[in-house]
Amino acid sequence: MITHQNAQSQKPARVVVLGAHGFIGAAICKQIEAQGIPVIALTSVEMDLAEATVVDRLASLLKPSDAVVMLAALTPDKGRDIATLMKNLALMQSVCAALEKTGCAHLVYFSSDAVYNTAVSRITEDVPASPQDLYGAMHYTREVMAHSLAKVPVLVLRPTIVYGLDDTHNSYGPNRFRRMAQKDGKITLFGSGEETRDHIHVDDIATLTVRCLLRCSTGTLNVATGTSKSFLEVAEIVAKEFNWEIEIVATPRQSPVTHRHYDVTNMIKAFPDFRFIVLEKGIARVHKQMMAAS
Amino acid sequence: MSAYTIGYVGMTHLGLNSAVAAADKGYETVCFDPNHVLIAKLSLHELPIVEPDLPKLLEKNSGRIRFTADVNQLSLCDVVYIAPDVPTNENGQSDLSRIDTLFSQVEPVLSPYTVIVILSQVPPGFTRAKLRPGRLLHYQVETLIFGRAMERACFPERFIVGCAEPSEPLPPAFANFLQSFGCPILPMRYESAELAKISINMCLVASIGVANTMSELCEQTGADWSEIVPALKLDQRIGPFSYLSAGLGIAGGNLERDLATVCNFADQYGTDAGVVRAWMANSHHRRDWALRTLYREILSRMDEPVIAVLGLAYKQDTHSTKNSPSIALLEYLKPFSVRVFDPEVPASAAPNPQRHDSKSELEACEGADVLVVMTPWQQFAKLDPTEIAQRLRGKLVLDPYAILSAAACRVAGLNYLTLGVQP
Repeated sequence: MITHQNAQSQKPARVVVLGAHGFIGAAICKQIEAQGIPVIALTSVEMDLAEATVVDRLASLLKPSDAVVMLAALTPDKGRDIATLMKNLALMQSVCAALEKTGCAHLVYFSSDAVYNTAVSRITEDVPASPQDLYGAMHYTREVMAHSLAKVPVLVLRPTIVYGLDDTHNSYGPNRFRRMAQKDGKITLFGSGEETRDHIHVDDIATLTVRCLLRCSTGTLNVATGTSKSFLEVAEIVAKEFNWEIEIVATPRQSPVTHRHYDVTNMIKAFPDFRFIVLEKGIARVHKQMMAAS
Repeated sequence: MSAYTIGYVGMTHLGLNSAVAAADKGYETVCFDPNHVLIAKLSLHELPIVEPDLPKLLEKNSGRIRFTADVNQLSLCDVVYIAPDVPTNENGQSDLSRIDTLFSQVEPVLSPYTVIVILSQVPPGFTRAKLRPGRLLHYQVETLIFGRAMERACFPERFIVGCAEPSEPLPPAFANFLQSFGCPILPMRYESAELAKISINMCLVASIGVANTMSELCEQTGADWSEIVPALKLDQRIGPFSYLSAGLGIAGGNLERDLATVCNFADQYGTDAGVVRAWMANSHHRRDWALRTLYREILSRMDEPVIAVLGLAYKQDTHSTKNSPSIALLEYLKPFSVRVFDPEVPASAAPNPQRHDSKSELEACEGADVLVVMTPWQQFAKLDPTEIAQRLRGKLVLDPYAILSAAACRVAGLNYLTLGVQP
């Protein structure tokens, strides 16, 4: 559940985005700029959060009136081990130390649905976080670190599976499926793709983030569409976009089928007029972008 | 006419209906409340609440009912019921300060022979804490249902009576009064009676939880909950009066109070209340059915929709909006134009800035993209779906309580959605 600190939309004085070069960060920066809001987009090149003097450098950059969006993290494709966990916590430690010095008007922390137990099939914000791996534990710990900041209004966003053209993780789902289909003419599923998941377009993530910035929303919000589809259905949607036959290949199941559904009632309450990009249209949009780029 | 006089303290819903029922049984009845304005209005039969049959029975028995703001008038009574409504906060927790205040005010003016009966809903341990040497004190379970309060007060199925010592006979005046209703009387220790009341409500909530859970599953599987309910009610282990109608969760405040009480006691004593918390979560989930459905069908698809909402009260035949699903829905429809009508609750109870206060159901429908029936008032069942269809701009009708005829709505060309059936 989130609470809007601004009764009406109000542009923040400036938004500082940490992790601005990433898949989601870039989309958010684009939409912030489109709103005419001043943005400082920081990547690890300009502001290496692992570097020794970063706290002072970041603190000198930040103003108390800034909204800060924190996305910077080593993603699972960069490592799932304890060393990666500790590096990620150190990045957040630097951000918190800088914010303790300067304060800020609003902190949006990008977490993950990995904070939830994988065995839980229906997710709301009331489901207790119970991460099953180091990546989920990292995000949950960083959420707690964010909340420990005195006098900083904090919003935690927990996105589901995100798809879009510029995804770099190539995780199982729409992103990998379209690349497999384009490259090999076939999509290989785990088992028969029975698992249901919620997939959200990166532009929806960005739009919701901007709306949260405008309302200075605080609390925790799952960022999902509320509609789950099986990976087989997703594969079929992806396959339909190609002008040639795409084979969908089942493989022997290695692990039990799990499902995940999001009850997005709290999102509806927060933004009752928000419209998600439906999966079929979103996949079609990404497909066109991919074909144009290739 | 009985030789005994019965007093009632606290002229809110419970006290007022119970007093009129006592008068209807032929007892002289003294109705006390320290609120002079309220007493003046009641003396003119201006009622602060809506209950079927209450005005009629008050009129019929007015010769036996005396309203007073003078506490000393209670000294004439043989039995005095302490019966104010106990308000709850947003977490369902009771505010017992009013009953404490009234008890302290009344007790000193009563003789040792007057029986004091606490009728308000109190947690286990409350009554015994009020017991003083030489005082005749009992607790009696109330089973008031908003909208059926007079029926319940006049024709109770049994009396559950909390006693300091259950093996001792009830005081004659109290026993005489209870026996006049012709139903079983179950004496038990105070704490058992206090917990019996809560246990009754837990059984009701459990049934509601089943109805909520299974009706939602029906919406996904092609089953129809309304076809299943009659089968359950014919099962002797479940029963014909069980709370199995699909609805928008628990509202009104009373059941929520008991859920909160059980959780609080469980936390205090370390007993398991996991299932109770699950019922509460399930209730909150189902309460938002209309919002989710509206979002799916209208809000996520249409610019500047106009939404007609029939019903603001938390249920039919009451003016109460406590925890009303309708008000909860309207809270989230503030960005949109709404057209509102309720037979008893003024439209101003809706918190929406873009609100049209309609004088009738059909006026509310005029030009709306969707009709949402949020309270199952029987008068809504008389609406002609063809007339609704003529006035609506859109075709969608959300009728969670199935107050309209689904078949007639479909014949009228409406897209009809209700609980417990797959769209």
